Amino acid sequence: MRWRLALLAAAALAAPLLVQGSFYHRVLALILLVAISASAWNILGGYAGQVSFGHAMFFGAGAYMPALVYSQWHAAPALGVPLGVAVSLGIAAVLGVPTFRLQGHYFSMATIAVAELIRILVGNWRLLGAAVGLQGPATGRTLWDLTFRGSVSYYYIFLGVLAALLGITAAMERSRMGYYLRAIRSGERAARSLGVPARRYKLYALFLSAAFTALAGSLYLVMIGFVDPDSGLGILVSVQMVIVAALGGAGTLFGPLLGAAILIPLQQTGNVLFGGGGTGATYIFYGGIIIVLSLFEPGGLLAIWRERLAPLGGRWAGRPKGLRRAA
Amino acid sequence: MRHRLIVSAAVAVALAVCGPLPGSGAAAPVKIGVLMPLSGNAGAAGQASKAAIEVGAQIVNEAHPDMSNIPLAATAGLPKLDGARIELIVADHQGDPSLGQSEALRLITQQHVVALLGAYQSSVTFAATTVAERNGIPWMVGDSSSPNITGRGFKWVFRTTPIGPDFAAAYSGFLKDLETMGHPVRTVAIVNENTEYGTSVGGGIHERLAKDGYNVVAQIPYNANGTDVSAQVLQLKEKQPDVVIFVSYTSDSILYMKTFKTLGYKPKVVIGDDSGFSDPSFVTTVGDLAQGAINRSAWSVGKPGSTTYHINQLYRAKTGRDLDDTSGRNMQGFLVLADAINRAGSTNPEAIRAALVATNLAPRQLMMGYKGVRFDATGQNVLAYTYLTQLVGKEWVTVWPKSAEERALAWPFQGWQP
Amino acid sequence: MIVALQVVVGGLLLGAVYALFSSGLTLIWGMMNVVNFAHGDFVMAGMYLAFLAVVWLRAGPAVFTGVAAALLFLFGTAVYYGLVRRVMRGPVLSQILSTFGLALLLRYSAFWIFSANFVTLPTVALSGTVHLGPVVVGTAQLVAGGAALLLTAGMHRLLTATALGSQILAVAEDRQAAMLMGIRPDRMQALAWGLAAAAAGIAGALIATFYYISPTVGESLAIIAFVVVAFGGFGSVPGAMVAGLLIGLIEATSAFYIGPVYKDVVVYALFVAILWVRPQGLMGARL
Repeated sequence: MRWRLALLAAAALAAPLLVQGSFYHRVLALILLVAISASAWNILGGYAGQVSFGHAMFFGAGAYMPALVYSQWHAAPALGVPLGVAVSLGIAAVLGVPTFRLQGHYFSMATIAVAELIRILVGNWRLLGAAVGLQGPATGRTLWDLTFRGSVSYYYIFLGVLAALLGITAAMERSRMGYYLRAIRSGERAARSLGVPARRYKLYALFLSAAFTALAGSLYLVMIGFVDPDSGLGILVSVQMVIVAALGGAGTLFGPLLGAAILIPLQQTGNVLFGGGGTGATYIFYGGIIIVLSLFEPGGLLAIWRERLAPLGGRWAGRPKGLRRAA
Repeated sequence: MRHRLIVSAAVAVALAVCGPLPGSGAAAPVKIGVLMPLSGNAGAAGQASKAAIEVGAQIVNEAHPDMSNIPLAATAGLPKLDGARIELIVADHQGDPSLGQSEALRLITQQHVVALLGAYQSSVTFAATTVAERNGIPWMVGDSSSPNITGRGFKWVFRTTPIGPDFAAAYSGFLKDLETMGHPVRTVAIVNENTEYGTSVGGGIHERLAKDGYNVVAQIPYNANGTDVSAQVLQLKEKQPDVVIFVSYTSDSILYMKTFKTLGYKPKVVIGDDSGFSDPSFVTTVGDLAQGAINRSAWSVGKPGSTTYHINQLYRAKTGRDLDDTSGRNMQGFLVLADAINRAGSTNPEAIRAALVATNLAPRQLMMGYKGVRFDATGQNVLAYTYLTQLVGKEWVTVWPKSAEERALAWPFQGWQP
Repeated sequence: MIVALQVVVGGLLLGAVYALFSSGLTLIWGMMNVVNFAHGDFVMAGMYLAFLAVVWLRAGPAVFTGVAAALLFLFGTAVYYGLVRRVMRGPVLSQILSTFGLALLLRYSAFWIFSANFVTLPTVALSGTVHLGPVVVGTAQLVAGGAALLLTAGMHRLLTATALGSQILAVAEDRQAAMLMGIRPDRMQALAWGLAAAAAGIAGALIATFYYISPTVGESLAIIAFVVVAFGGFGSVPGAMVAGLLIGLIEATSAFYIGPVYKDVVVYALFVAILWVRPQGLMGARL
């Protein structure tokens, strides 16, 4: 299976060279960015089966801190990245302890409530730009501002982060933690009775997930150069991570990347094709495709791939277990 | 392997769909990109603005001798570019800053637009103008009013519309003139929605009116998506201000007027800061409950036969509705941009930028009630200005300043027929 | 004091309408464990149907509410047979995908058909005000709140005191066992979807009498419904009723006494706090 991985890596490295035009480079970079946040969500939502609808709070922490560092001290936004991860882990610690008592949908709803709470508070917090939001540097002063004119540099930065994240996830998948999380997903009570320290491992998953989601948020800020409560903390930010992971196949290593590689070009082309008309056809098209996909393959696209096209699916792609319903 | 296949398949789809179109022939059309929220919560405003800009392009591209005071209207196309027509490339950014950037980049690099226009929400304008700045393409802001959009040291961003401080100055001037008309007012309440627009404009009005000696008894921020506004109206009822100023979007403006009636509340003066009050839906839905409301607007339909009247006729023919202020400001932004491209005599971005910098239009050359168009070093139009209008029946008629008055102010706010 | 009373009455009337559309969501959520992301858009559909009934048929309140209820009942069953039945037993994430897709489809179909412009119901029948002692309320709000309360209570009675209701609950309890008893689970679940959609439709028609109508109006209503349902306990109609009224009340009082911007903060904070104490919601008799 190693040659396949190598091929994938080579393709990913070569993609910006094969495709010309800065718009396509940007689309490629956005695919990776969305893949990072969805893969980070996947650790908690996919592997551990704790469906969070509030991951925007971690994403927002990651996006806001670099912008804050810039707007307060005119320092390079990159300096705010560790701060964003730290804040995100802090939120995760405060959130994880009480909410992990909750099961299934109650957990999902609690995460929505906390994320909305944070969004509203930030929207009224002057230090964080309140409703107006915060900006990064519009034009790079030094290389450290990471403000590039084209998207290729972002693409490679994102690729590095995604590779690290997927590497960690793959290692986790094979480790004891991976088995524990899968046990928790298929039934927490049963897992506990088998001696799995469920609460502790869910927390580990949450921390890992929150840290990388924050990193995705920081990368977003560095590339877009602007964050406000809606774009950084809005519920759609959370929903996008869930949709992308679910579409590709939650609880699998490459599912979120696949989901992003399908959905982002789809969104962009849909908007190019129908957006200018202003009839809302973009969303009709997008909604229709999502429904069709959910009807024909509940396990996500990776399951189709595995069952129909690659019956000998590699170990690195994980087993086609699908997610059983929580609770 | 499989993944590369998927990625390349996806990219191939994208390429097939939006690949660059070959340009053609002499006097090739001049492409201008238009970025508006055509779906999502601000869809209605974005679509109205899109239609207005399309009417603007029609005015430039066709010969309209009846509006010869507007530059480029009398002739067909751009005379200094061999009569080239303007072609609009419209894109939907859905109110998402990231998508705004993507679409701006696509319009610049794939469609080779020579200038951009947009983008309604200040958040998207903030983010997307950086793409224009980095690529050296002029961007005309027709309506986003956040003060920070200009003044970031950008070379390529120009804005024709009046902004927060201009509005605050207009309200202060109006309240002062009320006194000379024999209707002195002392106390003011400001009710503003709590996103960027309401916060910055509401705060600016508060500051200015307090400085000018008015007693601001309350500033009430609220969430425009809320289901109920009676708490705000009850607060107003308790504070009894003479003047209530709303900085609101459409849905909430409608709810306020409905709730005024339900709770039987009528302050002496109700002022709407454009936006929601200017949305044509406002008059069709709650016009009967808001008689005598004051609105900020630089647009006035004018008398039959006038240029603005003709423009409104064209807009009506296209959409079946009257032109509103927000869309009008976008049309004005487009016309200023088209005039600059013509004066540049070229589609070279640097030449267009130089022409924009040199813009100097007089009030009679404009469709909106600005005192002219001349940009300062930050790109802001220093002659931007606004009128105040009053709702009479289903029409907004200009009542302030005196020089532009179409009809004497009706006093006080009547609201609904008892 | 009078103002306080005014705030409380207004909050409760709005809360009653929250209770009605949330009762539909809680029914299918508790019964089938399916999260319906399109529920807010069902309410939106009810609003537009009421609008069309008024414009085309000059229908009165009773008629346009009935039209919205009947058509949404049919639509709800159709959604069950066409979509939900096929994803129901699949992974929870594919249910989320499908109802999320449905929400987008509904919202933007309305956008296409009716355009993005806001409309209001052109009715004068309910536009007056009523004085309840010192408190003034809009006739429309009073009628909507009263009707919503009655209908929510009716829904509860239908589920607990009729044969049909016990069949629905039996399927929710144990599908296999219900089948052995000769109940056809598919029909019961389709019925539950029809009822849920009809409740949303009626709520939409009632809200339309005092609210604006736009394609995206369902979005903010859906979040309220989610919170009401979780607050009250999944599957509990009385829970939704209490939670709906409570949230209406909290929103109104905190908006007035603390500030309109913070009313959602209070609601969400209270919600999280309640879940901390009672992880199964207020009346979480899990079905």
